[in-house]
Amino acid sequence: MTALAAGTLETRIGAVELHTGGEGGPAPLLYLHSAQGEGPGMALLEHLADSRRVAVPLFPGFGSSEGLEHIDDIEDAAFHLLDVTERLGWTHCDVVGVSLGGWMAAELAVRWPERIRRLVLVNAVGLYVEGSPITEIFGRPFGELADDLFADRDHPLAQLMRTVADTLEKDPAAIPFDVVRPFLEALAATAKVGWNPYLHDPKLLGRLHRIGAPTLVVHGVRDGIVPRPHAEAYAAGIPDAQLVDLDGAAHLAALERPDEVAKLVLGHIGD
Amino acid sequence: MRFFSFHLMPYPGLPPDYDGPAWITCPNSFYDPALGGSLYNRYIDELLLAEELGFDGVCVNEHHQNAYGTMPSPNLIASILAHRTSRVRIAVVGNALPLYDPPTRVAEEFAMIDCISGGRLIAGMVVGGGPEYYSFSLNPAQARERFAEAHDIIIRAWTEPGPFEHIGKHYKLRYVNSWPRPVQQPHPEIWIPGVGSLETLEFVARHRYAYMGIPYFHISVFERMFKLMREACRNEGYEADPLQLGWLVPIFVADTDEEARRRYEDHFWYFVRRLLPGINISPPGYTSVRSWENIAKGAASFALNLQSWDEVVAGHYAIVGSPETVAEILAEDVERMGVGNLLGLFQLGTLPAEDTTRNLELFAHEVMPKLRAAFPATGHAAAPLAAS
Repeated sequence: MTALAAGTLETRIGAVELHTGGEGGPAPLLYLHSAQGEGPGMALLEHLADSRRVAVPLFPGFGSSEGLEHIDDIEDAAFHLLDVTERLGWTHCDVVGVSLGGWMAAELAVRWPERIRRLVLVNAVGLYVEGSPITEIFGRPFGELADDLFADRDHPLAQLMRTVADTLEKDPAAIPFDVVRPFLEALAATAKVGWNPYLHDPKLLGRLHRIGAPTLVVHGVRDGIVPRPHAEAYAAGIPDAQLVDLDGAAHLAALERPDEVAKLVLGHIGD
Repeated sequence: MRFFSFHLMPYPGLPPDYDGPAWITCPNSFYDPALGGSLYNRYIDELLLAEELGFDGVCVNEHHQNAYGTMPSPNLIASILAHRTSRVRIAVVGNALPLYDPPTRVAEEFAMIDCISGGRLIAGMVVGGGPEYYSFSLNPAQARERFAEAHDIIIRAWTEPGPFEHIGKHYKLRYVNSWPRPVQQPHPEIWIPGVGSLETLEFVARHRYAYMGIPYFHISVFERMFKLMREACRNEGYEADPLQLGWLVPIFVADTDEEARRRYEDHFWYFVRRLLPGINISPPGYTSVRSWENIAKGAASFALNLQSWDEVVAGHYAIVGSPETVAEILAEDVERMGVGNLLGLFQLGTLPAEDTTRNLELFAHEVMPKLRAAFPATGHAAAPLAAS
């Protein structure tokens, strides 16, 4: 397990928190996180960094990343990420995107297909599928949301979400502000790009044919947020795509099932 | 000191076995149009009565897709009041500006009401409640900037010769040229309701508007809110005029304290337990991170958490009692908070017409005169506060 080091990257819209580590592989790997803002200390990333150069930029509004005031929609997000890859000096990379990050990865890939070598989308939002709505995440009690996100109720983050939810209900002022702040900011940042249209871009489906990279679409069978037809739509729309079901995994499989997800990712991006 | 009668126009007919929220997803199959029609007419009569009884003004407000307040368009009610009254100020508190696209609609409709009423409109402008951002699928993370831009367009539409062009972030309007224009010059008095967001307080202070504290909190929350408002005015280099501060509070008067509680309590609990649930949803980005701490300080004392009547009395969530009791409590509270506008909710929840009428009469005849004597009117009414 190779630890990632925290740093910052100056971008056009402000300094963003960047975690990097590892060496090797045919191309560096960019990890785009979900609305949870996961990254620092994640086993999956440390696993990947054993054989890869890995970079995890936190999106504006997450962690200490600046610039959210310059983001109003998913297109702004895509152009921000283009800026990030350019400033990393990467002309060509593999991209792993989870949930919200999967949507951003797809938006990046339809616009600049030549910059992406291999693509992995894990429980990605971003599409509208008639009859299969993405579960509401905004305004839901954190405890309820935790049940949709995690297969294991006892995962430390699920427990923290329930604790915060209970306290928020009774007396919001009783929670140290530093505990609540990341949740509030992460949701506000997510709302900026995903409130309406709700966590999708109506134009994305028709643009998926632009993606040239071989793509692995991963669906957690117990995902309480994104129904399987979304993974099917991605797999059908991207010319060279393969859909894999991950048994027993929920929305945040990248956190809960690091070994299996790492194996899938490495199997797809190859040596 | 000015006295206003505020009406929410609540829906009293939620089924007894329904225990869900009164907002956003409350099924509209519960709404009986025939009952609704008679309620509108009754509620309008209750507002008209306030003029006869000597109130200085009446207030209506805007809420959508809920049972708490059935005025998705307060401007419709205000236009009826404008035609049927001759003296009272008509305060629309307010229009939720981000819900009007383009916001010139607000400039037009408010100007209509001001013209019909002969210059008696008080123009309230509000960001809109958290639930409205769900009901309109409007991005809450952009609520504040939309509000600010819409506000600027409306003020310009009233004060600058048209046509002019407005090209902003959220609104691109090539020809702004509002007909009619308001009677009051440079524009009607402006009120902004709020729950203590620092941005809102600073905005109101900067523009020298009036701030209306939204109810259903412990009295100490209002005290802190008005103190922050006075500080915000001082930071702008002036002392707040009491007429820049308004306090909205449920009031019920009966012959004795015992009778007041007996006649009122059930209706109050219908309001708290059936109509408030869901009102406090705070969508992401709606409250800035810097305001969150300030609002969180008051959140535990929100009326939804009330368990007993003793708490209602102790926290001044509603002022209920004989004329003597109500006058005494209100005099103390008004003095302590330094507010120049008292906005009373005289009908609440399921409170029937007869009790509401009697409440208004007793308040007007036996409480208002005492308070008027205790707080002699400061120069008010016609001149917009924004003039300086």
